[in-house]
Amino acid sequence: MNAIRAILAMFSILAVCGVLLGALVAQLRGDMPCPLCILQRMAMLLCVAGPAWLLARSWRREVDAIDYAQCYGASIIAALAGATMSGRQVLIHIAPGDPGYGEPMLGMHLYSWAFVVFATVILVSGLHMLALPRRAERLPLAGASRAVVGLAIAIAAINLVAVFLEEGFHAVLPDNPTEYRLLDDLGLRSEEAPPASSETPAP
Amino acid sequence: MDTLIFLLIVLTFVAMWRGKHRAAGVLFVLALVAMLLLFRHHATDTLPISL
Repeated sequence: MNAIRAILAMFSILAVCGVLLGALVAQLRGDMPCPLCILQRMAMLLCVAGPAWLLARSWRREVDAIDYAQCYGASIIAALAGATMSGRQVLIHIAPGDPGYGEPMLGMHLYSWAFVVFATVILVSGLHMLALPRRAERLPLAGASRAVVGLAIAIAAINLVAVFLEEGFHAVLPDNPTEYRLLDDLGLRSEEAPPASSETPAP
Repeated sequence: MDTLIFLLIVLTFVAMWRGKHRAAGVLFVLALVAMLLLFRHHATDTLPISL
């Protein structure tokens, strides 16, 4: 049973990391994340921190029901905050005829997927807490869990770099970001040539 | 602000990895509070909301 709990914790981390990787791929394809999208990424990483914390505790000692409750409780709190943010963004674009922000992926916008992710995190964390161990146990698969937590740290670090590029040395992100402001702040962006007119000149 | 919050999150993970669980807890709460304050800024200042 403890192996199943370890695998479920790793699966929880990998599932959310997959969504974060999808968002990074969308950003690389030119879909610049807005301030609310960035906030939802933060909340997803904090959701990941719960099971990652549990696995990190299990590397050094046996974990008990209190450890499970603290770690999955932290995930639930982060997921509630994230669901509030993604729900807010869904409501902004809910009016008929509103094209939404960014390109849809698999039929829904990223913030709609984010709401599904946060609701799933709350559900899965609740299910984990229904099956708490009655006594302390050591979780197996320490090597695999180190790899999974390492992946989460790498994704958090990539997001740190990506948002620093986007925000630069400004206090907050603009409402509709269109460029990486750090390049402008450092003077690394060259002046772009004005777009060529498609109209033929008048004789 | 966003960059600093991501830095707090990365530091939270690093503290967990190194077994500094009390520090990880403090960093987690700091990141969560900072994230909520930033959300409040965006929800009330730049994107007006009324409840």
